[in-house]
Amino acid sequence: MTAATPEPAYRHSTTARAVLRSLVPVICPPEAIELGDAIVEHMALTLAGAPAVLRRGFAVGLVAYDLGALPRYARRARSLRGDRAERYYAWWERGPTKVHAQLARGINQLMSLSCYEQPQMMERLGYRPGPWITQVTERRLTVYRDDVRRQAAQILAPDPLRPGVRVKPERS
Amino acid sequence: MVAGKPALIEGAAPRNVFTRRDHHGDSVLDADVVVIGSGAGGATMAAELAEAGFDVIVLEEGSYYQTRDFTADTSAMVRQLYRDGGVTMAIGNPPILYQEGRAVGGSTVINGGMSWRTPDKVLARWDHEIGLAGIARELEPYFERVERRIHVATMDREVIGNDNLLLKKGADAKGWKVIDNLRNQAHCAGSNRCAFGCPTGAKQSALVSYIPRALHYGARVYADVHVEHITRQGARATGVIGRVAGSGHRITVRAKLVVAACGAIHTPSLLVRSGFRSPSGQLGHNLSMHPNVKVVAIFDEDVTGWKGTHQAFQVREFQDQGLLFAAVNLPPSLLAMSFPHRGAALGELMAQYDRMVLAGMLCEDTATGRVRTIKGRPQAFYQLAAADAANLKRGTVLLSELLFAAGAKRIFMPFHNSAELHGPDEARALLDRDIPASGWEVVTVHMMGTARMGNDRSAAVTSAFGMVHDTERLMVADASLFPTPIGVNPMETIMALSTRAAGYVIDNASKFLS
Repeated sequence: MTAATPEPAYRHSTTARAVLRSLVPVICPPEAIELGDAIVEHMALTLAGAPAVLRRGFAVGLVAYDLGALPRYARRARSLRGDRAERYYAWWERGPTKVHAQLARGINQLMSLSCYEQPQMMERLGYRPGPWITQVTERRLTVYRDDVRRQAAQILAPDPLRPGVRVKPERS
Repeated sequence: MVAGKPALIEGAAPRNVFTRRDHHGDSVLDADVVVIGSGAGGATMAAELAEAGFDVIVLEEGSYYQTRDFTADTSAMVRQLYRDGGVTMAIGNPPILYQEGRAVGGSTVINGGMSWRTPDKVLARWDHEIGLAGIARELEPYFERVERRIHVATMDREVIGNDNLLLKKGADAKGWKVIDNLRNQAHCAGSNRCAFGCPTGAKQSALVSYIPRALHYGARVYADVHVEHITRQGARATGVIGRVAGSGHRITVRAKLVVAACGAIHTPSLLVRSGFRSPSGQLGHNLSMHPNVKVVAIFDEDVTGWKGTHQAFQVREFQDQGLLFAAVNLPPSLLAMSFPHRGAALGELMAQYDRMVLAGMLCEDTATGRVRTIKGRPQAFYQLAAADAANLKRGTVLLSELLFAAGAKRIFMPFHNSAELHGPDEARALLDRDIPASGWEVVTVHMMGTARMGNDRSAAVTSAFGMVHDTERLMVADASLFPTPIGVNPMETIMALSTRAAGYVIDNASKFLS
């Protein structure tokens, strides 16, 4: 009777993937750069749960970001590396318009989220919630076993809101 | 394509819980009462009516999960348990990010579990200004009942983490009133995962309290069902029509009473798209949001805020001015996305994760927004009032002073382009600085007021018991009912109002069952 709940799927466009991959060294800490592919994949997973209108806006924004580099650098943003990639992103971040700044901020937020969702990054911070959950759960069930059982029983115990009133016979 | 790997596993559902896998075609069901939504309002209503003998069906848009499904995978929990992956937004300046639960148990599955009665001053206002005469006295036994059911209590001392202790230390140093938080928990284990589904079962969300109780007394819960509209004959609600997620199978429920408990964003939209109108003109209006901001403080000492209970204390010194402070904790990923930093600077900052205290502030708002229904979907619009923005600024300054008094060395503020602060003088200097509304990063989980209750049908959408004026057999049972913001966490007020409304239905059973 156990079945998996499928997660909604989402795939970056070729452009979006290339742009995001190029931005990993700009946004993520140096120690995360080798995780670039996983970070970009995780961003797709996150976007899958977001409203369609946000996904579409994000994808369109990345195309604009990609093409917006052409007048300045004679190449697309996805091909920029090092200082040029940094300067171009910073230009969007400062925001010639609010929309530029919002997109840059949105990319930063989503990529930072996905960066620190990588197990290696959490491990670097010493963040290990899994074992902690196991430890405190066991402790609770040991130290407070009787109270926990009492509460579970209380949840189901008869306690009618209007004593003596039962609007229909007991159903089987 | 990103693999659609399962993030959560649906456990074997108990008897009378039906998920998407149980539907093999369109279906028609009959019940005395159909409750739309399984959160604080819906689950409470379902349990009380089921125990009284009503045949109850609960429809929930989200899926059914059990405690064992809640893991340390933060982003998976957010995708599965939050509506739209947690990125729903009220349009305004600034836009306000709000979060709603979308699972059996509703937002009680992902809230912090704060369980406070409606403040006396709010109930007095509802009595005098809204015309809800005697409501404080009336609600008293219902608060007691709810608190017993969901085990409202203060924290066991040994699970209070360092982040909360530092918050209390700062409040004590300032001489400010700080109180033990009341939460619906049975010996909270201190996993600090409240917002991602309690993995220990200690938080007594509706999922582990009112829903099991409702099931025990015969209610049926249908998960994965999106209700498209309420059916009607004239002004009388007759049931609902919904669709099962995935398959799209149609589910029709014929009922003698329809209870909308979808929250303050979705309830008004459901009523509007079902063709109901309120002569008051207030349906969807009067949206309050309790704007919420957070500051991040870095200490020299180890904090490790993820070990310990969530919000063990509340600073109540400024409650009369609409401000509450508490220490919260976020996993690294969600904290990282709140910083404007990037690259090496982000790495250096996040390396201090275990020395950070994240403190949040709730602001009782004076502005009201609106929920509009656009192409059948709700969209919230909310404009932060200048007075509330000023209160937010003052509150962040006060909160910063508290954290510096506790020993913080650096503090990051919740607005764009803000330099970090290194002392209380720098914090106070912010009071003279103009912070444009667009600069604030505001979030909320408290949406209220869009189907306000009151006995005056020209000013309120529903009666004092939630019966929608000028309709028959249609009830609202969620935070939509609040005539005003309440200035504290709303869950217990929702549950108490819902219990009271259930009593009204039981007392008038012959009318509803005819």
